[in-house]
Amino acid sequence: MAATEIAESKSTAKAAGRVLILLDGSRLSLAALEAAAEIAAARKAEVLGIFVEEVNLLRSAGYGFAREVGGSSGLARPLDVAALEARMHSLAQQVRRSLEQAMARRGLVQALKLCRGRVADEVLSLVGPEDLVVMGRVGWSGIPGARLGSTARILVRQAPGDVLLWVEPRPRRQERVVVLLNHDQGANHRAVKVGAELARRHHQPLTVLVRMAAGKGQPITEDLMAYLRHEGITARVKLLPMASAVAVARAMREEGMAQLVISRQCSLFGEQGAEALLAAMDVPVTVTP
Amino acid sequence: MVVPAALTEDQIYHRCPPEMLDFDTTEALENVDLPFGQERMLRALEFGAGMRASGFNLFVLGPSGAGKHELVKRFLASHAAGKPVPSDWCHLFNFQQSDKPVAITLPPGEGRVFKSDMSILASELKTAIPATFESEEYQARIQELQEEVTRRQQKGLFAIQEEANANHIAMLTTPAGFTFAPMRNGEVIEPEEYKTFSDEEKELVEAKVEDLQKKLQQAIQQVPRLRKEVRERIHELNEEMVQLTLGGPIGELREKWSHVPAVVAYLDAVREDVVEHAEAFQDNENGAPAGLLNRYRVNLLVDNADTRGAPVVYEDLPNHQHLTGQIEHRAHQGNLYTDFTLIRAGSLHRANGGYLVLDARRILTQPMAWESLKRILFSGEIRIESLERLYGLATTVSQQPEPIPLNVKVVLLGDRTLYYLLSHYDPDFLDLFKVEADFEDDLERDDDSYLLYARMIATMARASGIKALDRAAVARVIEHASRLAGDQKKLTAHDRVLKDLLSEADHWASEAGSARIEACHIQQAIDEREYRASRIRERSLEQIRRGLMMIATTGEQAGQVNGLSVLQIGATRFGQPTRITATARPGKGQVVDIEREAKLGGPIHSKAVMILSRFLANRYAPMGELSLSASLAFEQSYGGVEGDSASVAETCVLLSAIAGVPLKQSLAVTGSMNQHGEVQAVGGVNEKIEGFFNVCQQAGGVNGQGALLPASNIEHLMLNDDVRGVVRDGRFAIYPLTRIDQAIELLTGMEAGEPDADGQFPENSFNRLVAERLAKFAEVGKKKDSEQENGNGGNGDGSDGDR
Repeated sequence: MAATEIAESKSTAKAAGRVLILLDGSRLSLAALEAAAEIAAARKAEVLGIFVEEVNLLRSAGYGFAREVGGSSGLARPLDVAALEARMHSLAQQVRRSLEQAMARRGLVQALKLCRGRVADEVLSLVGPEDLVVMGRVGWSGIPGARLGSTARILVRQAPGDVLLWVEPRPRRQERVVVLLNHDQGANHRAVKVGAELARRHHQPLTVLVRMAAGKGQPITEDLMAYLRHEGITARVKLLPMASAVAVARAMREEGMAQLVISRQCSLFGEQGAEALLAAMDVPVTVTP
Repeated sequence: MVVPAALTEDQIYHRCPPEMLDFDTTEALENVDLPFGQERMLRALEFGAGMRASGFNLFVLGPSGAGKHELVKRFLASHAAGKPVPSDWCHLFNFQQSDKPVAITLPPGEGRVFKSDMSILASELKTAIPATFESEEYQARIQELQEEVTRRQQKGLFAIQEEANANHIAMLTTPAGFTFAPMRNGEVIEPEEYKTFSDEEKELVEAKVEDLQKKLQQAIQQVPRLRKEVRERIHELNEEMVQLTLGGPIGELREKWSHVPAVVAYLDAVREDVVEHAEAFQDNENGAPAGLLNRYRVNLLVDNADTRGAPVVYEDLPNHQHLTGQIEHRAHQGNLYTDFTLIRAGSLHRANGGYLVLDARRILTQPMAWESLKRILFSGEIRIESLERLYGLATTVSQQPEPIPLNVKVVLLGDRTLYYLLSHYDPDFLDLFKVEADFEDDLERDDDSYLLYARMIATMARASGIKALDRAAVARVIEHASRLAGDQKKLTAHDRVLKDLLSEADHWASEAGSARIEACHIQQAIDEREYRASRIRERSLEQIRRGLMMIATTGEQAGQVNGLSVLQIGATRFGQPTRITATARPGKGQVVDIEREAKLGGPIHSKAVMILSRFLANRYAPMGELSLSASLAFEQSYGGVEGDSASVAETCVLLSAIAGVPLKQSLAVTGSMNQHGEVQAVGGVNEKIEGFFNVCQQAGGVNGQGALLPASNIEHLMLNDDVRGVVRDGRFAIYPLTRIDQAIELLTGMEAGEPDADGQFPENSFNRLVAERLAKFAEVGKKKDSEQENGNGGNGDGSDGDR
């Protein structure tokens, strides 16, 4: 099975398994770059950096009355196109250097795509179903305590492939990969697979949490255990009642979660608290289609 | 004049009457608690130890080896036993000023308990507080708080964003902040297109953008205040949680220590401090930092749990640090650091509430120790200052512990010289040491004291763990004690000398296989000790024997007499005769003291010679002119001569030189004389007589020799067995003198002669010879004067030149 697994992963890598990394020069995006490089090195995947010059921003700088209000100081400064473009240009240079350095260290093939437009649109036009998009959970955000940026919101819902929302993980005593599933969802398989891969790569134990209405747990638990045993992964499966997002967040914290894998089709996404849940988790989150 | 009779054996030695010692051995005797004969000192101790007013510290003065230390220790031990045990003292962390540890006092023995209570509390804090912070309740509440604040922060911004959207204005994020621009269908309008807008529309948009910018500025500028608020609220929550956690253990301790308000106040301070540092306890990986918990420890400075009565502390190394305590430092990776737990008590702390015994000489030889002791006694509180600080050598920040009030009685032990020097030169000394306890050197020897002295010997023997003494041995010790005191009516009180004698006698008794110390062992100890110290004495005797030092002990010789002197080398004294010679010829009333002229004579000796010359002038030329040029010398004396004990001998030899009458060389003379020719007491008579006796014995045996001494010195005689033997046989005579004429008669064998009403001495008397010879001198002198015809001579009394 291990052999086929490798073969499979090779084939996916060959097909389209690129790692796309969204770079905007923010601190978090540079941290995400390191994570992306790690993943790419493990998958032997190509890396494509994407740097988008936000067209709305450039346009807004064209107005004579445009002012930039400082995110921390609250002071208003004049904003003009030339200055903004120069700033964008220098950011792009910086991003290119960082990308080259990160990938060269690992001997990976990389390219940087510079484009101008709306970030989410540009990314969606580049990403394929087998690609992994890596991005900082927030970009340049002046809003204090913001947990989920606008681009991340769009990509989590619309990307055809997996999306990794990166945050700097804090060291914990216990580190587990947690996969959150709905018992009745079809995309479970992909989420569990991603979870298993993460667990293997980081040498961390795996927990699969299954949200379900009471009394239906047994078969799915056995199926999951069988699959994971087959994959050679030590894991535990826990059943969760259909509780609120906050309750789920607590359950996950109790597991000593270091990384989370969640399917977009998980019923939690349909609920009010989905974004609150993601916001509450200060761990890297992979969202699978 | 009647020549005095020679002294009998009983007069020259005061035996210990055996009937006074009513026991077989010292085993039968009880110990003495306090020494007898020291009433003055004991009363001073009693007074000083009990006197409450300040400055009434004690100075116990007496010669070294007198047993001051042991006696003071014994006295204070019994005196202090009935006094209350003083309090314990602790240093605690000062939460207001961390470099000034506070001091609190606790009832004796409770310091330990408090220390252990606080150590238990600290370990409880270490686990209980992190547990509180890990609890579900705390986590949930902290999350709520944080979320609420985030919500409030975002709310303002979102409201602005929504307002912007509603007005078709986009709020965009830039790398450094936000900007606004008009938008349509979610996209910012091209600036070119915007130019086509009507002026009214533009005005509207720009006014709105400006308005939004202002609102945004306000919202952003509120963020720090919000953050501060959340910090405060988190702190409040922490306090609340810690208060709840601490409530139990600290409440129990407050209850337990409610009788000590200082402890209660400290516990409250601890609670506040824990609350203030609640966040530091949150680190559940490593627990609370050790430095933080160390601050709740108790430095038990003075622990009186095992003290019975008031403490009596003897500091054998009374330097500054040992007295006042010190602040130690710990070396850690090349750095020195300290805190309140490294404050160490000094002997003043330990003796607080009791007695501190110090050796005066030792404390005076330690740098700054004496000054520090005085400073502390004056201020009435112990303030710990390091020596390097006092010298101004260190200026680093260190701990400044709260001073501890002092109530101690200092007992200084020292010799008399030190006491009198301090009284004279140190203006503070008498303010601080108002009670002098003066040791008696000698004890009265009377019928009552024999048994007491025997008990004292028994006590000493027992304390030193040596054999018991039999009755004869005790009698011998008592007789020797009189000899040591140099007085038939006194006994020495010198502790060390007696103890050494007993120990040595014990040694000789063991050598001889005797089960008890007998008189012969005491004698052997005395003899051996004398022998060990006899090298120089022997050498001196040898010089006399070989004729290098000329001393005649037989025959007669004019202008020459045997004086007696005492030499002290180290602890031993011995006597030896010295030849004193005189010359006389006519002159101007001068008696030349050759010793003085050669600067070998001391002032007392010079005084004695002056007295002598005035005596001569007064007696032999009361109305006329004393025409005399005389000289006196101590032959073969190359060291200094001091004292007046040779003045009787000098008078005799000078008169012999004037009259040309020979003196018996078989007699040696000692004694001082006043201007009226009365003989006065001198010191060292035993050594002097024994010294002359030894010389006589080695010069061919004792036969008819003797010594003359002042009658007032008879009671100082405690002569050794050899001398007593020859006195008993009548081969050696000791004559007591009261007047100079008695010496003259004994030395010359002539009658001295009393003057009649006209001042004339009887025919054929010695004094008549002297007077006639002096008259002849005067005649010769006058003749000379008239020959010279210088006319300014003839000074009646010769007051200028009479030296």
